[in-house]
Formats: sequence, structure tokens, C-alpha cells
Amino acid sequence: MLRNRVKELRARYGYTQSELGKKVDVTRQTIAFIEKGEFSPSITLSLKLAQALQVEVGDLFWLEEE
Amino acid sequence: MKQDFRMTYSLWNMAFILILAVMAVGFTSSFVNVTKTDSSLSIEAQAFEGFVLFAALMAYLVLITIYLIALGSYNRKNPDKKISAFSIRPPEYMEQDEGMTFITRKAVQKVYTFITWSLPFFAVVVMLAPVPKLLIIWGILAIAFGQNLIYYLEMRRHLKEAAE
Repeated sequence: MLRNRVKELRARYGYTQSELGKKVDVTRQTIAFIEKGEFSPSITLSLKLAQALQVEVGDLFWLEEE
Repeated sequence: MKQDFRMTYSLWNMAFILILAVMAVGFTSSFVNVTKTDSSLSIEAQAFEGFVLFAALMAYLVLITIYLIALGSYNRKNPDKKISAFSIRPPEYMEQDEGMTFITRKAVQKVYTFITWSLPFFAVVVMLAPVPKLLIIWGILAIAFGQNLIYYLEMRRHLKEAAE
């Protein structure tokens, strides 16, 4: 299962879901889906999110055994 | 998202389907009796069924007028994501990014599963049982209603979760 630190890092930078969404060109809802683990983003979006949150992709997303 | 016409589009569809179901009562009943003689032709309509048909037609016209006004208003407020009133592709699809495409696909998959089972089942029922014309129309409309209801509830569930 894909886990992520999007919510934690977004909060660290003080971004709202809408603001982060604007930075990576997606809707607020898509950020919410990613944070809840409901949706696994594409490599492109993962790279954009990592860039916006100034971390490596591997530090933002990781696989966890179910 | 509540203001997004694509979200409420299924509700409009369901309202139109309900009116069509009422309209079908008028269209399929034997309220029109045509009597033909050598010199005259008389058409007799029973009052109740005639009234049902007329009221349903009026309701349909009123609803379509309100729908077109609401759609025009939405298009004026959202010039970058206009919805055509007569597009072949269902306008309720929300595909503005990959996350929305993902939930739309999940909702459409549920609808597809429903249609896959309900249509053949209904066809078998109609083949085996002497089903009146009105019930056949109602059955088809019920499947169309169910399709819209499943899509709407699934999309609403995802978007509600995203809002929490």
C-alpha cells in the first residue's frame, strides 16, 4: 500500500489543500484523495508534489506491506 | 464543488426520468378511442389519463426551461469549463485532473456493473412474462434512474470524503 507524508509536509509549509493543488496544477479534491491514501498519484504528479514540498519523492511516498 | 453543474447533472437526469415515467402513463393508456364510421371520425380521451399526459408534458417543459436557464447561468460563470446542453458525451464526467478522473472512473465502473446485470435480467423478465407496455417503459426508466443514482451517490461519497 502506498503511504505518503503529503499532509504532514503541507502543514509544515502552511499550505492549504487548494494552495498545494494550485502549485502542482490539480484540484483541492485530488490533494485530499492523495492525503487519505484513496488515490495513488502518477509519477509526474508525485514528482511535482515532491518538488513543491521540497523533498525527494522517496521521502514523500513509500510502500508499506499490507 | 456543490456549485458544479456536473455534480448535479445526474439529479436533473433523475427528475426528467421521473416525469417521463408519469408521461408514459398517458402515452401507453387506452385513453384515446378512435371510432371511425363512413362519414365521421371521433376521438375520445378519458379525462384523468389526458390530464396526466398534459400535466407531465407541462412539467417536462417547465423543467427543461429551468434546466436550460441553470445551465446558461453555470456556463456564464464558468466560461473555461462550459457544458453543452446537447453533447453526446455525458457532461457529468469530472476529469479535470488525474484524481477526479480516478473517482469518475470508479463511479462509472459501478454504473457499468449495474447495467451489465440489470439490462439482461430485465430482458429475460420481459421475454418470459406477459409484461404490459407501460411496465416495460417503467423498467427501462428505472434502470436509467438507477444508473444516475449510483453515479451521483458514488461521486458524492468521494467528494464528501475529500471535503472532510
